[in-house]
Amino acid sequence: MSLVRRIMHQGFMPLFWLALLLSAALGLHQLETLFQWIQPDTRAVIYSRDSFLSLLLNHLSIVGIAALVSIVIGVGAAIAVSRPWGRDFLPLVSQVASIGQTFPPVAVLALSVPLFGFGAVPTMFALILYGLLPIVRNTLVGLRGIDSSVLEAARGVGMSSVQVLLQVELPLAMNVILAGIRTSVTINIATAAIGSTIGASTLGDPVISGLVNGNTAYVLQGAILIGLLAVTVDSLFERLQNSFSVMEDRLIK
Amino acid sequence: MIELINVSKRFGDATAVDDISLTIESGEFCVLVGTSGCGKSTTLRMINRLLPHSDGRIRIDGEEIYQIDEQKLRRRIGYAIQSTGLFPHWSVERNISVVPRLLGWPAAKIDARIRELLALLDLPYEEFAGKFPSQLSGGQAQRVGVARALAGDPDILLMDEPFGALDPITRESLQNELLRIQSQIHKTIVFVTHDMDEALKLATRIVVMDKGKIVQQDTPQQLLRHPASEFVESLLGGQERGLKQAGLLRSGDLMQLTDDMIDGDGPSLQATDSIRVALSLMLTHHCRSLPVLDQQGNQIGVLHLDQLLEPAP
Amino acid sequence: MKSTLPVNRVLLVLVLLALASLWGLDYASVQPNRIVPGAGQSLMSALGWPWASVLTLLLVICACTPVRSSRALLYQLMIVVLLILQLPLSLGWFIERHIDPALPYARAGIGAGFWVLLFLLGLMLIEIKQRIRLHAGWSLVIWLLILAVILISVPWLEPLALMREYQTRSQQFAQALRSHLALVGGAVGFSLVSGFILALLLNRYPAARKSCFGVLSFIQTIPSLALFGLLIAPLSYLSANSPLLQQLNVRGIGWAPALLALIAYSLLPMVRNTFIALHEVSADVLESARGMGMSPRQVFMQVRLPLALPIIIEGVRITTIQAIGLTAVAALIGAGGFGTFIFQGLGQAAMDLILLGALPIIVLALLADAFFSAAADRFKPGVKG
Repeated sequence: MSLVRRIMHQGFMPLFWLALLLSAALGLHQLETLFQWIQPDTRAVIYSRDSFLSLLLNHLSIVGIAALVSIVIGVGAAIAVSRPWGRDFLPLVSQVASIGQTFPPVAVLALSVPLFGFGAVPTMFALILYGLLPIVRNTLVGLRGIDSSVLEAARGVGMSSVQVLLQVELPLAMNVILAGIRTSVTINIATAAIGSTIGASTLGDPVISGLVNGNTAYVLQGAILIGLLAVTVDSLFERLQNSFSVMEDRLIK
Repeated sequence: MIELINVSKRFGDATAVDDISLTIESGEFCVLVGTSGCGKSTTLRMINRLLPHSDGRIRIDGEEIYQIDEQKLRRRIGYAIQSTGLFPHWSVERNISVVPRLLGWPAAKIDARIRELLALLDLPYEEFAGKFPSQLSGGQAQRVGVARALAGDPDILLMDEPFGALDPITRESLQNELLRIQSQIHKTIVFVTHDMDEALKLATRIVVMDKGKIVQQDTPQQLLRHPASEFVESLLGGQERGLKQAGLLRSGDLMQLTDDMIDGDGPSLQATDSIRVALSLMLTHHCRSLPVLDQQGNQIGVLHLDQLLEPAP
Repeated sequence: MKSTLPVNRVLLVLVLLALASLWGLDYASVQPNRIVPGAGQSLMSALGWPWASVLTLLLVICACTPVRSSRALLYQLMIVVLLILQLPLSLGWFIERHIDPALPYARAGIGAGFWVLLFLLGLMLIEIKQRIRLHAGWSLVIWLLILAVILISVPWLEPLALMREYQTRSQQFAQALRSHLALVGGAVGFSLVSGFILALLLNRYPAARKSCFGVLSFIQTIPSLALFGLLIAPLSYLSANSPLLQQLNVRGIGWAPALLALIAYSLLPMVRNTFIALHEVSADVLESARGMGMSPRQVFMQVRLPLALPIIIEGVRITTIQAIGLTAVAALIGAGGFGTFIFQGLGQAAMDLILLGALPIIVLALLADAFFSAAADRFKPGVKG
């Protein structure tokens, strides 16, 4: 028991899920008999329009690019409105970041079609737009949560405002920012899957195709891969956040 | 009358209160004093059964508290704590009316009681009745806490460091209020504090506790004159004990009646001022005697430095 | 640091963006029929120069009102409200000018310029309302005014593509509304009750907390499309083997997997908020309630529950908004609701059908947000009620 716990503690979980995800992406078609049993009266029981691996990579790159852009813009905007010269915009930005989360992600996805047509571009746009909100919000919360005496001390020892930001504010706010990125990416993995209804090629494809053609085996294959992808990425973030809290603990001691 | 007979309280292996016996007469202002963790709060909370005692017997007016329904018992006993424990979702008025409502008083009687208590605690009804706890200052909230404790007209009032979180000036004024109120209502008060000055000021009897045991119980004067141990002496402030004792004696009791008028422009004392104040004034103004005035400002006597050194009457 | 400009910088930026999009993007478009793509119309040609210049002028005045004057915010608020009120009217005016009533298939599309203006006006409203202490009654008046103008302009807006899509589907629209609300209501209602019970149990048995929250947040991680998909196979198996379930219309697709998944997603926010709410009531307050002689039941009903209520309502708010969005996805597995229009619209590349599905979902989510936020505020302790 203690050994299992120790292995799990040492970041074994992300590896476990990653291995499961990769073997599913590479080996699902080996389970043809199983899917045949689930979907007895259909000939094609393994989704074959694209390989699972390429769908997985496509899904990941859409989410990854969107996440990168969201992080740069989101963290940047939050930093900007918490500087003296941007403070006028703080109330508006923080309000929009919280009201915006009321909008369902599917609606945002659907509304980007009239603007950009079909394909990966509108999906990416929706992911970036929606993914910004939790990042902006958490960065603001993280920056505002810092004890003002710490900032005063940092200025007091002669740090420039850039040094205060890079060496004090961002490291102290990092855990909260990371939590925001985690929320953003979790939502985006789910939304990107739905993105296959607007023509982005993602792991949602087998599910949608299966739903349209009444092929439960396709649906299952897509669903398993999407689920594994989400769980893998989430466990990676958990590991990352843990290592940050460990670092913080060490800093305090 | 509250009687504790060989009462103990254990939490697991730890003994918080160790075989104490204590009798508190009706109308007494009994202060339990000691360092934190000495068992004083635990003792208090056993009286209204917020904590069950492990051993011994606790009686109120001769009745075993375990014979009384626990909620009925608590409704008969007022309870005030340091953090006030005011209900944040209710107005001042609603907070004070908790126990009367629980007791099923008619609305008119509750309303009259609220007005009476707010007046007693110097909180104007129009201004405060509708306020919420978050709108009160610390001192005001504690007044409301005391009013709430008194609301059901209990014979007994339990107070757990009620003034501990207040600034010194507010604390002193609330102590004075409490003494004034007690002189009007004559409840049996059991009051817990770690502040010996507060104990000396308020108590008719002080019970000093240490490590779950009672080390000494006596009137404030007797305690100051004859501390039973070094621990009690250190609680009394060690070398400053003389000054604390001086704080309990009033100038009016020691002064010399005299017609010998002293010039009115210099420093003077009220008859109710303690001789600690007198000593302080003498040190400040480098004088050996001070005129003592009555409330109208007429001189009624003189206090000399020599008199301060005589044993108390 | 004080702004060196004598005007509100935020409003200035928003107004500049609004002007740029108004003059740079199409305000509306004309479609001869449903199939043919519309021809975009700029602001000037859509509304004519008098309307266009008044619009522009109002925006400029709004941006240039000096912040020094104490009534500036009030004037700016009035201008923004006025600009919002003119939106439906301007569409009516556009239709009046460009849609020939003799052509029954001609329809008017709403252009990007209009949407961006609506969005920016919304931001201006948020910005102004943050800086002004507006009585709740006035907010209500503003909303009622906006609603009234929309209702008044409806007859003129019939040729609007959105309205045309609605008219051919008014029955389905009502049905979609019903099934959307039923799914959301069912999921939120069920998870409220079971979440409450679960939270009470967790309060009593601390040992179960970690594993319970672990399982619930694991479910929350799984994307909706995957969870809906994963439920299809087991449910169709169950349904195939149970006549009772068949009678209840429980099948692999449809309302059953949708409701199950919605409940699974709803439990985490509901349990978490209810648990925290009940758990974090100050121990001193509870102790003094006991000390006053309240019975355990009275302590719970009169003190613990009322103090926890705002946070529990906040949980209901989060859950409801989440469920409204997820129900839209559930349309993919045949659960009905407004998502049906979105996915039909995507399938037919019919933008206005997409709008017909997406707009009501957004409106529902905003209404739920406003309603539950107000309810939570109402029950916040220590506020004059």
